[in-house]
Amino acid sequence: MGEIGKVLSGLGVYWTNFIAQVIIFLIVYMILKKFAFGPIMAILEERRKRIEETEADREKIKAQLADSETVAQAKIDEANETAARLIAEAKESAAALAEREKSRATQEAQDIIAKANEATRLEREQQLAGLKKDFGRLVINATGKVTGKVLTSEDQDKINQETAAELAN
Amino acid sequence: MLSSIGDLSNVTFHLAAVPISAQPFVQTGFLSFLTNSIFVALIVMTVIFLLVRAGTKRPTLIPSPMQNGVEFLFDFVYNQVEQVVGPKVAPRAFPLLCTIFVYVLFANWFGLLPGVGTIGFGAEGTQMGFFGLSQEPETPLLRPATADMNLTLGIAVCSLVVWFYITMREAGPIEFLKHMFAPKGGLTGFLKWALVPIFLFVGLIEVVSIIFRPATLSLRLFGNVFAGESLLHAMQTLGDQFGLGTVASFISKIVFTLPFFFLEILVGVLQATVFALLCAVYIQLSTAHDEEDH
Repeated sequence: MGEIGKVLSGLGVYWTNFIAQVIIFLIVYMILKKFAFGPIMAILEERRKRIEETEADREKIKAQLADSETVAQAKIDEANETAARLIAEAKESAAALAEREKSRATQEAQDIIAKANEATRLEREQQLAGLKKDFGRLVINATGKVTGKVLTSEDQDKINQETAAELAN
Repeated sequence: MLSSIGDLSNVTFHLAAVPISAQPFVQTGFLSFLTNSIFVALIVMTVIFLLVRAGTKRPTLIPSPMQNGVEFLFDFVYNQVEQVVGPKVAPRAFPLLCTIFVYVLFANWFGLLPGVGTIGFGAEGTQMGFFGLSQEPETPLLRPATADMNLTLGIAVCSLVVWFYITMREAGPIEFLKHMFAPKGGLTGFLKWALVPIFLFVGLIEVVSIIFRPATLSLRLFGNVFAGESLLHAMQTLGDQFGLGTVASFISKIVFTLPFFFLEILVGVLQATVFALLCAVYIQLSTAHDEEDH
């Protein structure tokens, strides 16, 4: 120990000075611990946490955006499907309506034709009846003049019936 | 002038003009412990306090330039410490290692300020005149704090104490003894027991090396800074040694000193880093047991 003591004193190491330097170093340590390590590490930790939170938020927003895009795409697809379905239904409906209208128009046309035919027939029958009546009267008049005899009601009916039968044939 | 330079055999260099030990301001009494290096250590302590206080007075998430500088320094040191000792031990080791780095760095750089070693008492040719600016003072008022073995040894002893505390806390005494003396490398059977004496011997060597750590740490720092101070002193007095004229001597003080000044700035950072890094490595060696197979 004596030799070590000599070396140390040769280098200017003395207990008082050594202890003084140690105390100064410890004071520096305490200064840094009180004023630097605590506040700075706390603020660095807070900033790190804030950055992590921001990063997490960013990831969350990114995920939400992706979800929103997926949902929006799904909605668009659904809307497209609905639109396509509606268009198809509209086309079908339009075709059915057109068919129905066409049938109805055809039916109406047929009805009109049938009514016209009936009217024509009735008119023809009416005219024919009128004609028969006129022709019967003409035949009665002619028969009366030819025979010079006043025809009775029975004769007139008989002539009318025969004339009508002849005309019908 | 050239003839003076050429005749080197007649020149007597006083390269060791810087005394190896710090000098007290008063020889007797209570204040006899107050040496010029302790005085500088107190100034460095105050400077660190003021800078740190200015940087952390009102810490905000958006930092001021001062706070930014302090944060950068601490963040940088913390990351370095974490890389060496690992994330688990880093919070415990960081305060000591950061204090060592900051204190040694500021002390080293403070020693390069004008006036350190050149202003003092008892200037040559005067009767204990104060501030002997024109002559070399017998007792400089300011001496680089890290050019005092008391400071470097004090820091080294503190680091040894903290190293021991962290080691006992993280590894425990049993793990520590196993780490020191037990056979390593996953040996089993006869070979393991055969090699026990060798590992015991290696453990003893390890213990000796641990005991000598404060000496190696402190001497390395002291030697580098003291050598740097002596080198700057030698460069400053080179013109006088060559016997140059007043003007040439004055110019030589600047020209010869300037490159070494920058070198010493670098050495200041380097030595602070080496000191803190070695302490970190010592802590890492005694606490990182998980990867070893005993």
